[in-house]
Amino acid sequence: MTETITMRDAKTIIENQIEELAKRNREPEWMTKLRYKALEAFERAPLNDPVIDENTLLSFIAKPEVGGIPKNVESLDDFPPELKALLDRLGISEIEQKYIAGLAVQTDTGIVYNQFLQEWAKKGLIVLPTEEAVKKYPDVVKRHFLKLFKVEESKLTAYHTAIWNGGIFLYVKEGLKVPFPLHLFFLIQESALAQAPHILIIAEPNTEFHLIEGCTAPILVKHSLHLDMTEAYLGEGSKAQLTVLQNWPEYVHTRPMTRAKMLKGARFINTTVSLGSGKSSVANPKYWVGEGAHVELNGIVLGQKDWYVDLGGEMYLKGKGASGINASKAVIMDESKVVTRGIIRAEASKTKGHISCDALLMGDSAVMETYPGLVSMVDDAELSHEAAIGKIREEELFYLMSRGLDEEKATQLIVKGFLEPMLRDIPMEFLVEIRKIIELAVSGGM
Amino acid sequence: MLKKRPIYVAHGGEKMLKVEDLHVNAGDKEILKGVNLSMKMGELHVVMGPNGSGKSTLALTIAGHPRYRILKGKIIFEGEDITSIGPDERAKRGIFLAFQVPPEVEGVKIIEFLQQVLAELKGIDPLEAYDLVVEKARELGFKEEDLHRYVNVGFSGGERKRFELLQAILVEPKLLILDEPDSGVDVDSLKIISGKINELHKKGTAMLLITHYGRILEHLGGKDLIVHVMKDGRVVRTGNRELVERIDREGFGEIFEEVM
Repeated sequence: MTETITMRDAKTIIENQIEELAKRNREPEWMTKLRYKALEAFERAPLNDPVIDENTLLSFIAKPEVGGIPKNVESLDDFPPELKALLDRLGISEIEQKYIAGLAVQTDTGIVYNQFLQEWAKKGLIVLPTEEAVKKYPDVVKRHFLKLFKVEESKLTAYHTAIWNGGIFLYVKEGLKVPFPLHLFFLIQESALAQAPHILIIAEPNTEFHLIEGCTAPILVKHSLHLDMTEAYLGEGSKAQLTVLQNWPEYVHTRPMTRAKMLKGARFINTTVSLGSGKSSVANPKYWVGEGAHVELNGIVLGQKDWYVDLGGEMYLKGKGASGINASKAVIMDESKVVTRGIIRAEASKTKGHISCDALLMGDSAVMETYPGLVSMVDDAELSHEAAIGKIREEELFYLMSRGLDEEKATQLIVKGFLEPMLRDIPMEFLVEIRKIIELAVSGGM
Repeated sequence: MLKKRPIYVAHGGEKMLKVEDLHVNAGDKEILKGVNLSMKMGELHVVMGPNGSGKSTLALTIAGHPRYRILKGKIIFEGEDITSIGPDERAKRGIFLAFQVPPEVEGVKIIEFLQQVLAELKGIDPLEAYDLVVEKARELGFKEEDLHRYVNVGFSGGERKRFELLQAILVEPKLLILDEPDSGVDVDSLKIISGKINELHKKGTAMLLITHYGRILEHLGGKDLIVHVMKDGRVVRTGNRELVERIDREGFGEIFEEVM
């Protein structure tokens, strides 16, 4: 860092951003007030981060953008050559590459999605950039926005709330079942590239949908700290899936904040596939699980280089018969470190919870730590955990090699197989790319 | 030391496998202490011997298992020294080991695994491979939906052995090493397995069959089998079917006494 940024400087910078956003978005007053409330909380809130200290955070606030990324990516020629080469190796189409670069292109995919959304809007599926939703549906947004978080919880929560921009508002009308996955990256591209997107999901009773955020290809972002926040309200009997695909560049610290409130009988499968975690990734999603409701948090992590990944996950089993599963599978290479610390709290009778953590260590400097937490407040809850941390078994490798596969191919097959059972809900088009990225990573080609 | 060692001249083609004075360690322990063995194309050789005599180590060493360190000696296959090449290279030259206890490979679907193996070893296109695999799998008692299970995961003893044979049938190796294909197998599976071994043998695949009991040999045709008896890391006796029958009647004890 070249100069020291004081708290006062940082607050001034945030204040200017708030003013700018308020003007740009022409947002209702309550939203701007909320931003200011967050700014006020920012100074006294705890930081609670295992990687970023206060000085680093302040310097990120002063200078959110990393150097070396072209200011305006106007065409694919402006891409850093290594990234372009990687995208080509992954076989990613030019159209998709443009999306990844944040080029505002009108694509066939985009047009199809727009038509599709207009069609489904009539049935009660609303997908909008969050900024627009604030203006178009102020009452609904106001009732739900930042109700699962408190601004003073941490500096990062406060900072996000003060400067949030981008993100998606998804509303599913009672009884509506959306038969195919909604891929947000192609719906509203800015959402994936903004620094602090806010995602609001409101599912009325008995709805069904599958939302896919992010994308498998490495994306070009300009900021060093990414703070996305997701709030999901899942009504009675709703069935929701949220799949987050991420492949961040290695200079980004990501702090995804996800929380969900689930009413009676709701089901929620929340899967994160982290092919590139960035320099560090710390996530501690929280779920409040109502009577007979069921939540699954699945984490797939590919730890590479010197990346640090910290996966939390707290489940409050509040209603009778509620259940939760927190499962992670990590492939850890190079000097990467992965920590998992899921907690399941059984607060009502006949609740069930299970934490599982599997890790494949691919090198002597790779590190895995796991701290499962099970808390029971009742006498008839079933809580359990299991963990398996190890290297590729020699027997398996020899078996595959004795069938004519060389060591690299055999290793790729074992690693893909290790992750496979957890990728069962991922649509095929992403699966092909995910497998390819795993192969490249295992062979040191990322 | 070896006193009586009948020289058995088998007929058949050129020399295929020659194991010369093979000394092998697993960890700090010497398990093979100078094994000699010679096979010609298309022959059926049987290795017998009590537990711990080094039978499986011999099989795994010929296939190139990294855990077994060769201290001395050579493995020659089709005239070339393969002592220090990797297991994948040996597979490409035509050696196939059917494992005694094949490991589970979580998350790898049988069909995808076999498609990759067939592409790698025989250059067969995956679509073509699919039909071939389905056809051969049926012959070995697998259903098409079984092919979407993970390799060996949750397989019964019989299923594991049949799956090893299925791979061998698809690969059609020059040399098939069978490590106790008859252990832990029910009668029905044993019939299927021995039928397939006969089929491959008739097509010209040379066999090195390791067995604890002679039971499976009753199902195998061909009078010309050659039996090697191992004890304490060495081949102490080589003979023909009569030797098998003798072991069946008397056990290994008397034979060992003769060679002491």
